[in-house]
Amino acid sequence: MNISRFYYLFFVLFFLCATPVLASQGPTEALKPTLQGMINVLADPGYAGKEKKELRREKIMTIVEKGFDFGEMSKLVLGRTWKKIDPQQRDHFEQLFTKLLENAYIGKLEGYSGQKIIYKAERIKGKKAAVSTVMKSPDAPPLPVNYVMIEASLGWQVYDINIEGVSLLRNYREQFKSILRKQKIDGLIKVLEEKNASFDAEGSK
Amino acid sequence: MKMYNKHTTFILLVIIGFACFGCAKQDDGSSAINTATVVDAKGDEMDMLLSDDFFDDDDSVSQNLYYDPLEPVNRIFFEFNDKLYYWLLNPVSNAYSSVVPLDIRYSIGNFVNNLSAPIRLVNNLLQWKVSDAGVVFSRFLINSTIGVFGFGDPAWVEFDLEPRPEDFGQTLGFWGVGEGLYLCLPVLGPSNVRDTVGFAADAYTHPMVYFVDDIWFSAGYYSVSRVNLLSLNPDVYEDLKKYSLDPYVSMRQVYLDYRRTKIKDTRSHVRSDNELSSELKK
Repeated sequence: MNISRFYYLFFVLFFLCATPVLASQGPTEALKPTLQGMINVLADPGYAGKEKKELRREKIMTIVEKGFDFGEMSKLVLGRTWKKIDPQQRDHFEQLFTKLLENAYIGKLEGYSGQKIIYKAERIKGKKAAVSTVMKSPDAPPLPVNYVMIEASLGWQVYDINIEGVSLLRNYREQFKSILRKQKIDGLIKVLEEKNASFDAEGSK
Repeated sequence: MKMYNKHTTFILLVIIGFACFGCAKQDDGSSAINTATVVDAKGDEMDMLLSDDFFDDDDSVSQNLYYDPLEPVNRIFFEFNDKLYYWLLNPVSNAYSSVVPLDIRYSIGNFVNNLSAPIRLVNNLLQWKVSDAGVVFSRFLINSTIGVFGFGDPAWVEFDLEPRPEDFGQTLGFWGVGEGLYLCLPVLGPSNVRDTVGFAADAYTHPMVYFVDDIWFSAGYYSVSRVNLLSLNPDVYEDLKKYSLDPYVSMRQVYLDYRRTKIKDTRSHVRSDNELSSELKK
């Protein structure tokens, strides 16, 4: 009796210590906690309602920041312009772009409830990976969402979302290019600030 | 020179197409049940996802993702469509949704969809998608009879036959015809030269032109089906405007990305064509 308890404890301790060693998990395994964490917060009545929006967003963003590589996304979305701007501008841009994605992506998810995510397939090619999923919600038709990921120092992180061939990153990249052509980086930063402010104004209504 | 190249490609494709017809037919016959083929199709889609050019050093002027020399004119029509949406389409659709219950609107959507089955049948055949054409035909038969003139979709619900959307723009793309200029058409929305030609050609495979010879009836039918579709997908255009910094560019990219994916890989799509084109053509 005593001995079996000892073994039980031993195994528990062994597996507790072993988990961090298994950090080199695959893309799907890395994606799951991020998406599930997000869904759990959205389903949690403790975070529901308009008055708790800020708390909810903060909680979600701490989860999302582990699974999404906003730094890489900011770099890729600007393309050539990223090399031309100084570190301060880069930081400022990354902050604004992250906020925009938060407003767009999480803002959209907040409209749904009780989603379930089905993981369909995974493909790894060098440092890149694609994970295809289907999002099922009770109040909307199933939505195929593909996540494109990159292997960074922290493990696999998302850098693009692709729905029916439409890439989120490419879409913003083309929009930014068109703005940069006429207004340069300062103009783009101004447009981003205005866009984010429009979400805040909407939220306070 | 460019024309010549396209011509050669087209002729080559026709020859290859004929040469492969025998085996292609066999492949198509088995793929409906053969899961391995489905997995392969999925694999192609996954490869497409991984073949983005984001990490390429784009100092040497990044590849042209679109050809839009008419942008100033297109932007005017974009604005026109935007006004049309907020001043006319959206209020009409809202009023329509408040009067007509959701079930009936879905049924009307099914009816409109079912009636355009000949377009999908012809275009599946033109792309040698024989088994998909068979599915289109079965869906039409089942939905027109058990589905009561197409108002229901028992083919999908009961027989698990998903829609197989194809149009002539896709057929042209399949045969290697280029997109041509991007166009933002008044009322109809985003398109390009190839898809506009396709849209016009598809009108001749729609059964209605052979039964009703009245332009006003056709226009009315189009308007009702358009408002009905909008009432079923109400937020799409507003979301696009809300989340984009330059909605014109965003819509152009969505349209081009979506169409290119459809032409490259039409197998693994679950949602019906009308659902998404309604989202795009606003």
